[in-house]
Amino acid sequence: MTKYVVKVFVMAAVLLLLNGCWDNKDINHRVMPVVLGISKVDQDFKVYLQIPNPSDEKIKTRIVEESGQSINEIISKISTNMESQVDLLHIKVIVVDEQIAKEGFNKIISAFLRSRDIPSKALFAVCEDDLDEFFAQMEENTSAEGTVLLDYFEKDAGWTPQVALTRVWHLYRSMYSLTHDVAVPLLKLGNSLKVEQTGSGVIKEGKMVSKINPKETLLYNAFNGESTQGIIEVMDIATVKILDDSIRHRSQVIGGRPELLTTVYLKVTVLEVEKDTSEEMIKKKLSKQLENRFNTMFANIQQKESDILAIGQLFRDQLPREELKQWRSKYYPRVNATMDFKVDIQNSGILKLKTN
Amino acid sequence: MAKNLQVPILYFLLHLGLIFFMYPRNIIESTESSHWIPIFVAVASHFILLILYLKGLSYFPGQSVISIFTEAGKVYSFLFLLPLFFYFFIVLVVSVRAYSEIIIIIFLSNTPLWCVMALLLLISAYLASLGIRSIFRAAMLYALLFIPSILFVLVFSLQNVDWYYLLPIWSNKFQFLTHPSYFKSFLAVGGGYLFIGFVQPALSFRNKDILLAALCVAPFFFISVYIPILTFGQETASTMMFPFAVATDAVNINWLAFDRITVFFLLCSITFLMLFLTMAIFTTAKILNHYIPSIHFQYSIVTTVILTFIFCIFIPNWSELEEIFRWSSLWNLYVFFTTPLLLLFLGLRTKKKGEKSFD
Repeated sequence: MTKYVVKVFVMAAVLLLLNGCWDNKDINHRVMPVVLGISKVDQDFKVYLQIPNPSDEKIKTRIVEESGQSINEIISKISTNMESQVDLLHIKVIVVDEQIAKEGFNKIISAFLRSRDIPSKALFAVCEDDLDEFFAQMEENTSAEGTVLLDYFEKDAGWTPQVALTRVWHLYRSMYSLTHDVAVPLLKLGNSLKVEQTGSGVIKEGKMVSKINPKETLLYNAFNGESTQGIIEVMDIATVKILDDSIRHRSQVIGGRPELLTTVYLKVTVLEVEKDTSEEMIKKKLSKQLENRFNTMFANIQQKESDILAIGQLFRDQLPREELKQWRSKYYPRVNATMDFKVDIQNSGILKLKTN
Repeated sequence: MAKNLQVPILYFLLHLGLIFFMYPRNIIESTESSHWIPIFVAVASHFILLILYLKGLSYFPGQSVISIFTEAGKVYSFLFLLPLFFYFFIVLVVSVRAYSEIIIIIFLSNTPLWCVMALLLLISAYLASLGIRSIFRAAMLYALLFIPSILFVLVFSLQNVDWYYLLPIWSNKFQFLTHPSYFKSFLAVGGGYLFIGFVQPALSFRNKDILLAALCVAPFFFISVYIPILTFGQETASTMMFPFAVATDAVNINWLAFDRITVFFLLCSITFLMLFLTMAIFTTAKILNHYIPSIHFQYSIVTTVILTFIFCIFIPNWSELEEIFRWSSLWNLYVFFTTPLLLLFLGLRTKKKGEKSFD
């Protein structure tokens, strides 16, 4: 009998120990911001947290800001001053201002990955406006469902293939990788819309070195295997919508110079068309237009030595590792890239198109 | 039939528990490209050692390593059973200390270290004290409960891979063979197979099933290293303490109610690791019991656990731990390679003797 009592006692004690509630804080004593903004004022960082605040009927947003020398210090300051503990586990979007982006965010990104407080899959964006104004606007414009900024990037909500989707771990990879850079979306306060996407910032080893426009971002996404489906291309003779795309690369090193031939197969449907335009004309015009766009963009990023298209990846087996270490400085500027767009008109909508 | 499957299943789980934390980092540290070559060498030696060991054991049906070495004489028992004892003990200390640190780094950042260590040890010790049959039954249950979620995480961690990181396939550099990290990685390769020698006579198994289990484990050696490599690339992955955990952190599944699948994965591997600890406690206590037969087996388990806990407490930080790892890896290698060879030698000798006496 006593043995039985002891057994039950031990089991109860184990139950108390094993539930993991060692020093837990209940959910009503935590605040979980969804958007984190970081700007630089002189030498100090300034942090903005956008916290959804559920009240009757709709969700309100609250913006908290604080400045200090390092992100973690500021967060703990906010935690101290607020009535609840700040929990960054649910940060979805991180916005930094242009100054930080240009100076480089290596330290911030490594800090995020090191502590694991902020998810490494949080999206990253650079804001061209002053963050004070940006967040003030955010606070005013809260939709009933939640946060505008988050919906903007969700694939099942407002995302379009012209927006680069860059996560914290992509940036971390870009800091160390020999052959792989990324582009981050650029945001601005819009006039009629809440947020306006002005293109993408080109990152090289954790620093923003240049910008590309939304149309060029589309090529960047296509290159990186994101679908470009649904995007509308406008020419003087017609307007078409991309239905499908696939991409194929052929790479070789000839005499120390990397040669790349990329073929993009596009399937489009015709939306609007000028009178007397034939299928052939649309195909030719579209592929010419895209080719030109690619060449302009590539010249720009090549000059800045930022390999956002991850072209270096294609040469991994053709250059020895020692040479690959100099990819960005030695080989990349000399890459001869030809992009060939093979356009196919899948259908012309419900109306006929002139055949020849 | 069902009884026969218990040993191979435990064998499989033990290795899963060992592979996913230290192993990827050690391999990524030991070489710069073509990671499959060091992994392949490791897996091949795993198979060779296992086959030799099983062959050696097959000369002594129904006997455990302890009784085999004891029968062989004092010298053998001193030269090989004692190292085996120290090996199990050091592995126990090092893995309890290392994995509690991992648990703290990855998800229980506010929990005191001693508490995590105590829990890891207590649960494993309790299981060990119930005896070998219970350990193996628990393994069956763990396999049913946790293997599905491990597979789920593995499938989804392919989400972010960039296959170009596989290239270049071939590399002529074999420096990894002398790299200290490569020696450390052998804990995952050789840490599990020695236990098989201790399950007899309580349980029986077929050699074919064990080899099949080893064959099932083999892909995981590659997967654990290649998922971080394909997600981040060598340059980035080499900056991480636990590349595999970081790679699963980056997985984004919209429709899943849980934000981070890493936690599932981690908890599953920790349960497997507890099985490993259980087996280590069990074997250490068994050998201890063999040398000091006057104390009861349960008490030798208690002694082992208390000693382990004290040693663990005295390792102050991660760099000290790394140092101990480095030194113990050489010891481990000695044990991994000599034990099966000696067993085979003893086996052949008894066989000859048997034939002679038969004549």
